[in-house]
Amino acid sequence: MKHTLIHLNTSPYSSLACKEGLDLALVLATFEQPVDLCLSGAALALLTDDQQPTVEHGKNLHKLLAGLEFYDIENVFIEANSGLDNTKTWQGVQPLNQAEWQAMFSHYQQVFRF
Amino acid sequence: MQYTLLITGSPYQTKACHSALRFIKAALLEYPNSIKGVFFYEDAVLIGNQIAQPPRDEINITQAWQDIAQQHNIPLYLCIAAAVRRGIINDTESRRYELEQHTLAEGFQLEGLGTFVDLMNTTNKVIQFR
Repeated sequence: MKHTLIHLNTSPYSSLACKEGLDLALVLATFEQPVDLCLSGAALALLTDDQQPTVEHGKNLHKLLAGLEFYDIENVFIEANSGLDNTKTWQGVQPLNQAEWQAMFSHYQQVFRF
Repeated sequence: MQYTLLITGSPYQTKACHSALRFIKAALLEYPNSIKGVFFYEDAVLIGNQIAQPPRDEINITQAWQDIAQQHNIPLYLCIAAAVRRGIINDTESRRYELEQHTLAEGFQLEGLGTFVDLMNTTNKVIQFR
């Protein structure tokens, strides 16, 4: 079975990419495919607590994060020095140092970017 | 070695569909059975719009995909959720939504992401074009 990494790098509010990347992760997990997530760049906005998007902004994707464990998606990686205020963000992430972050991409049979 | 292609880039905003077409042509030239299937996701599903009319002096990228798929018997799948929300509708979906028309180009089929998972598990490698 292939181990997949879904790399989210776009803002949850600038396009559907983040949502459709998460959708793919959830479907993979539903089909019992091992899948991890990593976030960088504008996609880090997904982690900020207390988001109140309007219908024009789109779905509140932040709310999905709490449910990931029910899909057995247990690893959500970010780079440690990504400038997030970790008192106001979702606590389920695993910060990696730069070397770990770079090595991470080689741990998977496939990486899909959104 | 068999490949599945995952294409996610819009045919208008990116060259994902064009680059993938070049890849597939090169692969098939050397290894005629090397492509198991092509799965279009995100804005790439717009490739399956049968009523788009590209200018006559430009490539008709939808037709180009239809031609290569037919010649080599390669299935072209569009993610059904991504396609329907973007107005790429087949006959069945058209009836489901009580519409008067359908817009899916010939040679493409609407499938769930489960089909992609199946392709993923039955080919050696998935290559994403975005």
